[in-house]
Amino acid sequence: MSFSATSRSQAARGPAGQMRTRAEEAASVLPPLLVQAQQLAGAVLLGDHGRRRAGVGDDFWQYRPVQQGDSRRMIDHRRSARGDQQFVREREWQIAQTVHLWVDQGGSMRFASDANLPRKVDRARLLALASAVLMVRGGERVGLTGGLLPPRRGNMQILRLAEHFTKDDTAAYAPPEHRALIPHARALFVSDFLGPFEELELALSKAADRGLRGVLLQVLDPSEESFPFAGRTKFESMGADVSHETLKASALRDRYLDRLAERRDALDQLCRAAGWSFGVHHCGDSAQAGLLWLYHALERRP
Amino acid sequence: MTMIAGIGFASPWLLLGLLVLPILWLLLRAVPPAAKRQPFPAVTLLLGLRDDESLSDRTPWWLLLLRMLAVAAAIVGLSGPVLNPAQDITGSGPLLIVMDSSWAGAPHWDQNRSQIEAELEEAGRAGRPVAVLRLTAPEPLQFLAAGQWSRQLAGMTPQPWVAGPDQLATAQEMITATELNFDTLWLSDGIEMAGRADLVSRLAERGAIEVYESAEPAIGLLPATYEDGAIVLRARRSATGLAQEATVQAFGLDPGGAERALTSATLAFDAASAQAEVQLSLPMELRSRITRFEIQNTRSAGAVSLTDDRLRRREVALISAQSTDEGLALLSPLHYLRQALEPTAELLEGALADLLPANPDVVVLADVARLAADQETALTEWVEQGGLLLRFAGARLAASDTARDTEEPLMPVRLRIGGRSIGGAMSWGEPKSLAPFAEGTPFYGLQIPQDVTVSSQVMAQPDPELANRVIAELSDGTPLVTRKPLGQGQVILFHVTANAEWSTLPLSGLFVEMLERLAVSSAAKLPDAEDLEGTTWRATEVLDGFGRLRDADTLPGVNGPDLVAAAAGPGLQPGLYTSGNRAYARNVLRDGDTLRPAVWPASVPVLTYQGAEERPLSGLLLGFALVLMALDIAAALLVSGLWSPPRTAVLALALGFGLAIGAGPQESAAQSPTGQPSATDLTSDLTLAYVLTGNAEADRISEAGLRGLGNVLNLRTSVEPAAPYGVDLEVDELAFFPFLYWPITDRQPMPSSEAYARLNAYLRTGGMILFDTRDADLSVAGATSAAARRLQQIALPLDIPPLEPMPADHVLTRAFYLLQDFPGRFPRGQIWVEAAPADAEQVEGLPFRNLNDGVTPVVIGGNDWAAAWAVDANNVPLYPVGRGFSGERQRELARRFGVNLLMHVLTGNYKSDQVHVPALLDRLGQ
Repeated sequence: MSFSATSRSQAARGPAGQMRTRAEEAASVLPPLLVQAQQLAGAVLLGDHGRRRAGVGDDFWQYRPVQQGDSRRMIDHRRSARGDQQFVREREWQIAQTVHLWVDQGGSMRFASDANLPRKVDRARLLALASAVLMVRGGERVGLTGGLLPPRRGNMQILRLAEHFTKDDTAAYAPPEHRALIPHARALFVSDFLGPFEELELALSKAADRGLRGVLLQVLDPSEESFPFAGRTKFESMGADVSHETLKASALRDRYLDRLAERRDALDQLCRAAGWSFGVHHCGDSAQAGLLWLYHALERRP
Repeated sequence: MTMIAGIGFASPWLLLGLLVLPILWLLLRAVPPAAKRQPFPAVTLLLGLRDDESLSDRTPWWLLLLRMLAVAAAIVGLSGPVLNPAQDITGSGPLLIVMDSSWAGAPHWDQNRSQIEAELEEAGRAGRPVAVLRLTAPEPLQFLAAGQWSRQLAGMTPQPWVAGPDQLATAQEMITATELNFDTLWLSDGIEMAGRADLVSRLAERGAIEVYESAEPAIGLLPATYEDGAIVLRARRSATGLAQEATVQAFGLDPGGAERALTSATLAFDAASAQAEVQLSLPMELRSRITRFEIQNTRSAGAVSLTDDRLRRREVALISAQSTDEGLALLSPLHYLRQALEPTAELLEGALADLLPANPDVVVLADVARLAADQETALTEWVEQGGLLLRFAGARLAASDTARDTEEPLMPVRLRIGGRSIGGAMSWGEPKSLAPFAEGTPFYGLQIPQDVTVSSQVMAQPDPELANRVIAELSDGTPLVTRKPLGQGQVILFHVTANAEWSTLPLSGLFVEMLERLAVSSAAKLPDAEDLEGTTWRATEVLDGFGRLRDADTLPGVNGPDLVAAAAGPGLQPGLYTSGNRAYARNVLRDGDTLRPAVWPASVPVLTYQGAEERPLSGLLLGFALVLMALDIAAALLVSGLWSPPRTAVLALALGFGLAIGAGPQESAAQSPTGQPSATDLTSDLTLAYVLTGNAEADRISEAGLRGLGNVLNLRTSVEPAAPYGVDLEVDELAFFPFLYWPITDRQPMPSSEAYARLNAYLRTGGMILFDTRDADLSVAGATSAAARRLQQIALPLDIPPLEPMPADHVLTRAFYLLQDFPGRFPRGQIWVEAAPADAEQVEGLPFRNLNDGVTPVVIGGNDWAAAWAVDANNVPLYPVGRGFSGERQRELARRFGVNLLMHVLTGNYKSDQVHVPALLDRLGQ
């Protein structure tokens, strides 16, 4: 019998050891993403998120005189003791929104044109998780589409989200997940939207049917925007299952840019039709700008 | 070998491969560049786009040219091109190899030999019998198989002479004695020999002649001479035409007894001149040590010039009893001696007691009858150790009772009272002339002038020994010069005066020659053949052809005239010769010899070694092809786009960096370790320094301590030291630091001897070291600690003066603060400083002794001052000292000690000088 050196060391560690190694590997991805997301979210000052009317909530809204029908228990004696009139302390109506996240983790997102740039998928996860942090901080319920992670509140949800964001998708161009959407919730789809357009159309129409409003964020690499290639080139998708060869890449540039604008136009049209917002984010730009845009886009009242 | 355009090709058929090049041209053109793979997720948007125009898929012409060149270079390289290919001299029948085999060929003897080896190999392949004839040592011709000569070749060495007419005649006989016809290969040394033409014509009768000759001229040194206070070295060369320089080195024994080059000079030959001259002006001591001159890097007997007594001026002490009287200079007994010896010897005059310690070669006593007893003993001792005592008679000697009854050690013979006077006004007879010098005496061979007469002399008592001791006598048989060996030296008595009073001998040239023969003076010029008439010389050491001295085993003696006049040959090998007490250095070349270049008849082809050198070009061309191919790879990558320009730049940069780093280490190794401040940094401000002990903790404390002390000095005094510096004794220069703090740890490594040399220089030039054993808490009452023992070991090789415990009036007690106690972290350890001089006395009424010597070079103690001074980055003391307020007081005293110490280092004994002020005021009457 002969053992290789690695197999012997693995055997020495045993199944428990292997599991722990894997767990540590998996966990090691989480903290940076979490920390980045928290940092990013920390930079955004939460603005007025309340409903701006009296209702169920924690924050003080106003004192009003006791009306007919108010229970005695609702009287705020502290305020009422100052005068003869009795007051009821009203709280601001705070209602939790539900936000569905979908981040494209397919092969096409695992691309960065330069070693100094983050991969698209990294930027997409960061933005999604950071906005999730903001949402959770604002008291919203956040979850993933497709029933992978039902919307919940609380910081634990951030951890769960982060865990889900460590898993890559095997598909080259992942179709948007549109199942298990809660009606009248909000949604955030982050992807490069370079895959088949029909899938996206289908997903958006499903969402719109259920009354969801949301945001499409297209994350692109700078090279996809500028097409800085020349000479004889064979372009390949990340999994090398789609390829296109040209003898003179520079000649393709204008036509490529036209097509890209066309695609973006189509996306924008689609969003307008469904009542969604559409935004573009480049990996070369700061994540802060992307997050601010996302925050405001999600905040926008229907 | 086929020759094309002056280049030979080993396999010319390969050149046909060049015809393939045009086909290659067509083939290479058609290859399109490879596509570059680019991952690109947006490829979905590209699908369906077509190229408008088809890009040129042809290789660029310059790339094609590069490839063609590479292939062409490879083909030509493989066909074995050779520049200057050797022309094979084919021949058949016997071959005679003639070698000059003289000293002139010694410098390129290896070249000669490999040439012969190659020829022998060639002859061996052709099956030609070979004979070798060495002209300097001709032997009968033996035609043998080439292999046999190859074995003998190793034993052949050049001779230290050039073949003379005798040897050439012998060689001709040898050739005549051979009946075979043969071709001749002559390896010439480039020097013309008398009678060479005959030999050449004789050889030409037998077959073809071919000559190999080195292009470099042979250089020979003439004997060195001493002219006008300088050694003159002359050299000759065999060929003119090019300016040439040669370095001459003078070898001799250094004071340690080892032979080494004492000095060197450059001989410069003008282009047109066959001779060069250089003058060496050297101190007498150095000059007398020189044993030979040698031309550097030239191994030949001719490039060596041996020296003998001629360069050496002997020291002669002249002593006379008479007081010097300027008015009677010509009557002075020393006048003629002075005149005779001055050009060739160093004269010492004065009292015998003063002169003997100078250890002169010769002591001349002119008319001195008696010496003081101790002087006589000293002089006897000196003679016995090899000195030459030369005495002259005179009125005093004649009148004294010296050596009347018994023979005295410093007198060769017993003397009769009074001496005799001949041919004077009151005596009968004519003044006597000298008898011819007998064979076996040192004067044998000297010509006696007719006008030398002797009118007075002291007479020797008849004695059995007398006959042996006489080395010159008058015509009537009475001794004129007598000699007696004494120990290793000798005592010689001239029975006449040293002035012209008693004889005319001092007026004649004979007097000088006699002194020369007696080795009183050494000849400044080369002796003539006549000078050496009648002498026989024995070789002690001879030169071989390469200029190395070796023992002369049993060479026959050489006649004096031959030694000077004859050319060097088997019977007169260059080397060192002796006869009696005299030494003579015979060199290869005589004074006046010239070297002429060998002249060959026009019919004889003369080849030089250099011209015959082949230069194969294959390697060069194949290397060129490889470089081109490497370039092609880069270019192809570039063209196909697989190698984008930015990365090229990066690669080129990396390559450049790699080269820089590859070339860098020498520089960085030569530099000081990183982070070390320059000398300017260290000296622009006063820098307190501590010795790195190797113990990180101790070093840290030292650093913190000196920093704390620096703060204190900054605050309280005008001394503003820079940040302290850790001194590595093995590396750092110490001269920059006025003060070194040296904590001793028991594990400290011993400094190297270089470090000790630096430390001693540092101590001598005014540096101060504070040794701190940091053990005052342990080593109370004389107990010693490990650190103290280590300090003893470390300090043993240091130049430390005698030490004493610091006296109460030491200047350290008042250099800045008034202190009586010098605590560090430990309160009261003993402190040792340089001991005060024994004569230091306390003046009545003054508080201090007068101690006005230098700063003590060391202060030794164990109070761990650095720990008391040490502060951290916030200037808070690092280590506790004592306890409570008294502890703070102790720390304050430790700081004050530091201030006093630095003041002592920087101002010396300035404070000590202050004690004079009361005394000065007192004297001034105030």
